[in-house]
Amino acid sequence: MIFPKWTNSLPLVLLVVAALAGGGVAAGVTIYLTPKYTRAGYQPVQPVPFSHKIHAGQMGLDCRYCHNGVEKSWFSNLPGASTCMNCHNQVLKDDPRLAIVRDSAANNTPIPWVQVHIVPDYVYFNHSVHVARGFSCLECHGRVDQMDEVRHAKSLSMSFCLNCHRDPAAAIRPPDKVTKLDWQWSTNAAEAEHLQDVNGKKFVHDWKVESLQSCSACHR
Amino acid sequence: MKNNLNNSANVTGRRYWRSLDELADQPEFKDWLHREFPVGASELVEDGQSRRNFLKIMSASFAFAGIATLGAGCRRPEEKLEPFGRQPENYTFGDAQYFATAMPTRTGAIPLVVKSYEGRPVKIEGNALFPGSNGSTDRYAQASILDLYDPDRARHFKHDGKVVSREEALGFLDELSKKFAANSGEGLAFLAESSTSPSRARLQKIIADKFLKSKWFTCDAIDSGIHQRAATQAFGQPVKPIFNFDKAKVILSLDCDFLGGEDDAHNHIRKFAASRKAGDGMSRLYAVESLFTLTGASADHRLRIPASKVWEVANAINSMLRQLHETANPLGQSAQYNIEGVDSKWVSECAKDLVANAGRVLVVAGQRQPLEVHLLAHTINSSLDSIGSTVELFQTNTVATSDLKSFDLDAIETLVVLGGNPVYHLNATAKPKTVVRLGYYEDETAQKCDWNFPAAHYLESWGDATTSDGTVVGIQPLIQPLFGGLLELEFLARVAGETQNSAYEIVRATFGGSEEDWKRFLFNGFLNGSAGKSETLSFQAAVPAVQSATTSESNLEVVFFRDSKVDDGRYANNGWMQELPDPVTKMTWDNAVLISRKTARELGVANGDIVEISLSGKSVKGPIWTQPGMADYSLGLALGYGRERAGRVGTGVGFNAYKIFSGKYIETGATIKKTGETHVLACTQHHWSMEGRPAVREANLEEFIKEPTFAQEKFHGVEPPVVKSLYANPLDEAKKTALHQWGMTVDLNACVGCGTCVVACQSENNIPIVGKDQVLRGREMHWMRIDRYFTSDPKRKHNPNRFDLSADMNQTDENQQFAEWIDDVQAVNQPMLCQQCESAPCESVCPVAATVHDQEGLNVMAYNRCIGTRYCSNNCPYKVRRFNFLDYNKRPLNELKGTIYSTTLTHKTDGVWDLKRWWNDPNSGMRSEDEWDLIKLSKNPDVTVRMRGVMEKCTYCTQRIEHAKISQKVKAGASDNVRLSEAAGTIPKTACQQACPAGAIVFGDVSDANSSVSKLKLSPLNYSVLGNLLTKPRTTYLARVRNPNPAMPDYHEPFSTEEFESQSLTPKGNS
Repeated sequence: MIFPKWTNSLPLVLLVVAALAGGGVAAGVTIYLTPKYTRAGYQPVQPVPFSHKIHAGQMGLDCRYCHNGVEKSWFSNLPGASTCMNCHNQVLKDDPRLAIVRDSAANNTPIPWVQVHIVPDYVYFNHSVHVARGFSCLECHGRVDQMDEVRHAKSLSMSFCLNCHRDPAAAIRPPDKVTKLDWQWSTNAAEAEHLQDVNGKKFVHDWKVESLQSCSACHR
Repeated sequence: MKNNLNNSANVTGRRYWRSLDELADQPEFKDWLHREFPVGASELVEDGQSRRNFLKIMSASFAFAGIATLGAGCRRPEEKLEPFGRQPENYTFGDAQYFATAMPTRTGAIPLVVKSYEGRPVKIEGNALFPGSNGSTDRYAQASILDLYDPDRARHFKHDGKVVSREEALGFLDELSKKFAANSGEGLAFLAESSTSPSRARLQKIIADKFLKSKWFTCDAIDSGIHQRAATQAFGQPVKPIFNFDKAKVILSLDCDFLGGEDDAHNHIRKFAASRKAGDGMSRLYAVESLFTLTGASADHRLRIPASKVWEVANAINSMLRQLHETANPLGQSAQYNIEGVDSKWVSECAKDLVANAGRVLVVAGQRQPLEVHLLAHTINSSLDSIGSTVELFQTNTVATSDLKSFDLDAIETLVVLGGNPVYHLNATAKPKTVVRLGYYEDETAQKCDWNFPAAHYLESWGDATTSDGTVVGIQPLIQPLFGGLLELEFLARVAGETQNSAYEIVRATFGGSEEDWKRFLFNGFLNGSAGKSETLSFQAAVPAVQSATTSESNLEVVFFRDSKVDDGRYANNGWMQELPDPVTKMTWDNAVLISRKTARELGVANGDIVEISLSGKSVKGPIWTQPGMADYSLGLALGYGRERAGRVGTGVGFNAYKIFSGKYIETGATIKKTGETHVLACTQHHWSMEGRPAVREANLEEFIKEPTFAQEKFHGVEPPVVKSLYANPLDEAKKTALHQWGMTVDLNACVGCGTCVVACQSENNIPIVGKDQVLRGREMHWMRIDRYFTSDPKRKHNPNRFDLSADMNQTDENQQFAEWIDDVQAVNQPMLCQQCESAPCESVCPVAATVHDQEGLNVMAYNRCIGTRYCSNNCPYKVRRFNFLDYNKRPLNELKGTIYSTTLTHKTDGVWDLKRWWNDPNSGMRSEDEWDLIKLSKNPDVTVRMRGVMEKCTYCTQRIEHAKISQKVKAGASDNVRLSEAAGTIPKTACQQACPAGAIVFGDVSDANSSVSKLKLSPLNYSVLGNLLTKPRTTYLARVRNPNPAMPDYHEPFSTEEFESQSLTPKGNS
């Protein structure tokens, strides 16, 4: 005999091992290579220790005070340092943490903020239309008013976008409440859910909100 | 030039044009038509061996790529957002800004509105606010934005070929000014291109007053000033004619290509289209010409005659008119004017038609025709009461310039050259002692100059100009000069020694007026009410006669003309222009010796044969191209090619016809000699004939009035079969809830085929250029093309005596040049773009659903899904899909030719191995650093830049649609006012529609019954191309109506209709 007896079970063993290994790789890729893992949770250190929790949360600054392009442009801009200096030429005037900001405002040199939220170049996301039609910052960015350092809260993957595009009624709210991240229909969770359902459907119908799922909505 | 021809002799690949003997044994020529893609389009490289090598190299690079990915990790790279330090007011990042400016031309200016993103201009559009304008431009204006981002622009101040600092160069100008101020300009001369700028005229005057002995010469490679000179002589006052084609009922063009090669063509097209509405008031166009021009293609009657004989025809018509006026019985006078090759009835009937429509007649002479012909044209216009109605005469005040004849090199010590490229177009060899030049390129002229100053683009400049009707328009900068170029006005102010030398201040001072007026001027882009006043003058000149020689094969006539792409050579380095198919020949990346079939046959030459043309002791070599409809014994030579120092794009393209050009556009006495060499010409439409298919539908006006529905399917025997679909079209369901349904109509009656839309589309949609080699492989990327068909009398097609003896009516592409039917042809143009079929054949074959319908009826293309099978393109009956065979954006032109394409493993750019460059920046490709930055700057950020392996096509400018919808929704907020409507002016315009001078393209919401497009689709002229395939195209065409004169000897049904009827199995009306 050329082959010993144990070789009879070799194909089966190989098959099982291959199945396990393949399954493992597939599971690994599914979990670790999707935006849910690779992007959600991304929290780079910014050049200025700016806290949204203090500014937007505790002091209640409206998002649009700084991100003032959000209603006009596809892009929600970062404020120029001159915007910061509107307050900080009075408050924390000589704080060393603000040295970069003062320098930027004085010399018109940009602050190199690290970009947190980004969609690929072939996705043409437009901030202004979402905000104008009653979709809150919260839906994509999470509770930024509770973050010291901004964190990538949602995956921003295509399926994430489509979830909402398939059912805009589940997320829509009065447009004047889009920047109030702690706003709810009701403090009672069950009632809030009910009101969202009723009002959501009403808004979608009354304002002719489209459930856009064709390619041209985002890809050009 | 020489270099280029030598290369062509070494071409080892398939040669496209051969003699008939060779053709006989080559069945592959006949295959051409039957292939989905042209030969070579689907082949990676030319022979199997190199393909295998290529795969080896590619697998190695995939391995590298794999390792690199592991090393780099899965997180995306960190990107920085850098906001302003001090936030500017009224600026929102990502929101486009629009500025009114203007593009100066030789005799006028085109008012523009330029779209700018983040401080960089991305798209040029016409200024629709301008009185009378429909917001259109010409193709040169559309393409001019690419020149701004040309990496080959002059970037440095240079003295004797060495880079000097800006300060040093400006210091030299100050010295120059002081020096000549001391001797009142003795020995100082200026050589400038013509300009309509009031500010420049003012500076010119200051210079003339300060340097009394200086001379100012105006020199254009192509002279468009003859209209003004002729009118001035004819009416005894400095006036310039404006031609109102819209007010004319009968137009006679005496070799005047007013729709193509003449200045201000876009205005002519707009006015001409307005007079061509099918119906009673429709105008009639007679064209007398030697070349086949766009005007000839639009003409109802076209007389094919050597350009040097146009005077004879004009004179005969004029004499006939006088007789018709003077004698009570005008009949019987017709036989007196015997012109060889002209039916005397043509002349007499044309004259009668002119007289019958006196007061609504317009006779125009071409700018290449001598003054005598212009004077004759004005005589006829005057005698038929056209002055003041169809011809308006506007006063002009031109600054006096010296006569070019007094240009004496020995008397000039310092010559200041403003723009232009005189060394190239004058073939200059000698030079004055010192030459100072302000130029946009380091070209042939720059090489011979002592001082070179880089010029700024008009989009970088402050300036002003006057349009053809005399309206003052402002030129304001969209961007700081990219390479620190000097503005023309600043340059002149320095030379003049003016203390006020910022261009802004100069223009502001010329304008005068209050601050409010100035602001309104800049906002509108023009000064309202500054247009010239129409003068009523009477003709008061003698009309000299012209003697014309009889042309023959040993005494050929040469006609030099302004090229429809590179102009006089100024756009030679503009890739969009080089790759734009010529509107008539459909040739790209070349010029050729245009010749008629008969002449070619007598001289024994065929397409692609290089011949040597000798004219008054000078000679030039160029390839032959048989042009249907050309006059016999006439050669057409496009100027502007054969540049030796144009840049990466234009150097060595074509041959330089200026070498035998002496300032006369029409010359006789030329001979040609075959050299035995051949040259491959890249043409985008090989097949000329429609083969009797009803792609373009035409009728004469009488027939249209009798049977307005002539274009409908029932007359074409191609009614779609009545079938019930197995599956419901999901679009039918989506239509019920969608806000809009997009559709388009293209009016073939208005379209003249100028090609502006093609360039506008290229500019808007980031369409790359691919180079001549790739065009030869059928890989051009234009999303929109203009199909140009030649049609002819079917009886001539069956003529047994013709050169090709086969009885088959179908001509192979290569031997159609020998067929006799191409002598007297009609041409039709059909813009062809994605038809956005409701039942799209491309969609059903895509294996990955990369092309699907959206709810508004767009056939959308998701580039990121596309895996490049090209099934869709195979299945598209209109052949409007384009495939990125290579990474056209990342590969420079010189890497797009050859038998094997280099890879990152085998190629070095800027001396660095490409793999290493890829590692540092995966985006840069094989482009040099400087080129890459400019390419990125020039792209429209609203449209994805496609990569290799991806299919692309027209999307009805989906980015513009989405932008309009988003704007409307933002405005709507918490309300239901989200629908775009034409009444509210919120419907976007596609790029092609916006640019079209004729207004032939109408886009809109077909679900809105009140929209223009819906109304046009109800027109009896509306039809679908290949509608019998049940593709249900959203783009439909309006059939063309011709208006020939029934009394004319060449009156007949449109040839396309005759061809269709002779080939159709079901004759007209019998289906």
